[in-house]
Amino acid sequence: MDIVKFKNYSWKYSETDKYVLKNINLTIQQGEFLGIIGNVGSGRSTLCMSLLGLVPHLFYGKTKGELIVDDIVVKKAKISDLSSRVGLVLQSPDTQLTGAGTNVEEELAFGLENLGVPRREIIKKVDSMLKLLNLEQLRNRSPFELSGGQQQKVAIASVFIMEPKILVLDEPTAQLDPLGTEQVFSFIKKLAKKGTTIILNTQKIDYIAEFADRIAVVNKGRVVKVGETREILTNVELLRRNGISPTVFTKLSEELIKNRLYKGELAMTFGDAVKIMKKVKRK
Amino acid sequence: MSENVIEIKNLSFTYPAGVEALKDINLEIKKGEIVAIIGQNGSGKTTLVKHFNGLLQPTSGTVIINGKDAKQSTTAQLSREVGYVFQDPDDQLFMSKVKDEIAFGPKNLKMKKNEVNKRVRDTLKLVKLWKFRNTHPLDLNLDDKKLIAIASIIAMNPHVIILDEPTSGQDHRGILRAESLIKKLSKEHTIIIISHDMDLVSKIAQRVIVMYNSKILMTGTPKEVFIKTSLLAKTHLKPPLITQLSQKTKGMRSDILSIDEFIEELKTKKPHSSKSR
Repeated sequence: MDIVKFKNYSWKYSETDKYVLKNINLTIQQGEFLGIIGNVGSGRSTLCMSLLGLVPHLFYGKTKGELIVDDIVVKKAKISDLSSRVGLVLQSPDTQLTGAGTNVEEELAFGLENLGVPRREIIKKVDSMLKLLNLEQLRNRSPFELSGGQQQKVAIASVFIMEPKILVLDEPTAQLDPLGTEQVFSFIKKLAKKGTTIILNTQKIDYIAEFADRIAVVNKGRVVKVGETREILTNVELLRRNGISPTVFTKLSEELIKNRLYKGELAMTFGDAVKIMKKVKRK
Repeated sequence: MSENVIEIKNLSFTYPAGVEALKDINLEIKKGEIVAIIGQNGSGKTTLVKHFNGLLQPTSGTVIINGKDAKQSTTAQLSREVGYVFQDPDDQLFMSKVKDEIAFGPKNLKMKKNEVNKRVRDTLKLVKLWKFRNTHPLDLNLDDKKLIAIASIIAMNPHVIILDEPTSGQDHRGILRAESLIKKLSKEHTIIIISHDMDLVSKIAQRVIVMYNSKILMTGTPKEVFIKTSLLAKTHLKPPLITQLSQKTKGMRSDILSIDEFIEELKTKKPHSSKSR
């Protein structure tokens, strides 16, 4: 089932002349894990914000075309109609944390309390979310005295706990340590398997290669190409044309080929590279 | 004057709420060094560097910056010695024009108008953003904003420049620009980087400091640090991906840090045997 449909969708902020999103056509299936990659300033964040209706309802500007999210026409809906279906994790945790709770536990419970979820269930959900993201030791600390990376984890947890049908993440792991990044990505993957639709905007190409089903390449406000993750990430010309560096393993396999140490398909993931190295050794 | 620009002895720090963020830190940083501080979220990296420019004062122990005891100096005095570039440029930038943003520091240091103007021009040319001098900093894209935040610190010409996550959220071009700028700056400044970007760390750091649980767990060159995989795993860190691949491949050295080095190793030594060197 198509859960997100951009139809000839364009958007421009009122204070700028140029359209930030230009004639976007993109369909996202329920339960799909879609990665969005592209340069800084390509419109990726704006794309994320339009899914929750922040564009056009919070920012002033002009839309053309149509965006339908879970059968709701975004232009005609309120942010509150969308926010029960769409969870948005922003890059900067400062923007995300409500400060409504005096500690991490309360911050996580805040959204559920507003929905009137029974207390016992809230406690259960908070506990499991804290455990999942290794935040148990921080449960009684104020979110505002945590480190940047810890805050980012709390911000992510506060959205995950609401179990939105569609989860939109805008560079959610910029401040996380490598293991924290892996934990977040593999949890997102699990959610996708359970039917949550994931739209993840990231510069971390090496990670997205391991997790996403499909990738959309965005450049200068346009969706340049959408396809299966492997098809996109091993299309090195497409990537370079759009200012994106292939994964380190793709680049390594290119060099192996150039140096006549290997013949065959380009690698994308760590697993691919391990397999290739076995072939290189046999020669 | 000593060759060390930063000398930390038995530094401990406890936040007012009672969280002990640094425990008995001993550290020396030499003039002209490029040092990277790595460690899991909440390990004390940012708390440590905030002691270098007086944003925080030790609960116990001493911090000597360029021969001066940080406790006896004001943050204003220390800011001439140590500049701190925040991770999120939005936390740092506040003027309505790029050129005013850059001029702000030098003006506060009571420089003459001519000198201020020269600093603004030189700095913006160095980061190749002179064309944006009349733009509102918040109208720039993230990559350029990050460079402006760095430039506003360079303009004060501090001995030490601290960069907190200089590449986070940046695209390929932005990362390359940041790397080449850091290399340029390192010729005249001591550079301290906080980062989770292990590729950046392996490419530009001369020395890596690994923090864990409010303490320094180990220090060494990138090669020395990234082969200690089990210690790193304890701290939620992993070597760069290319290093991980070299460690997984039989017959390869385990301290390879780049694709070039990886290919070179394959070309010079036919990896038939399954034993390492």
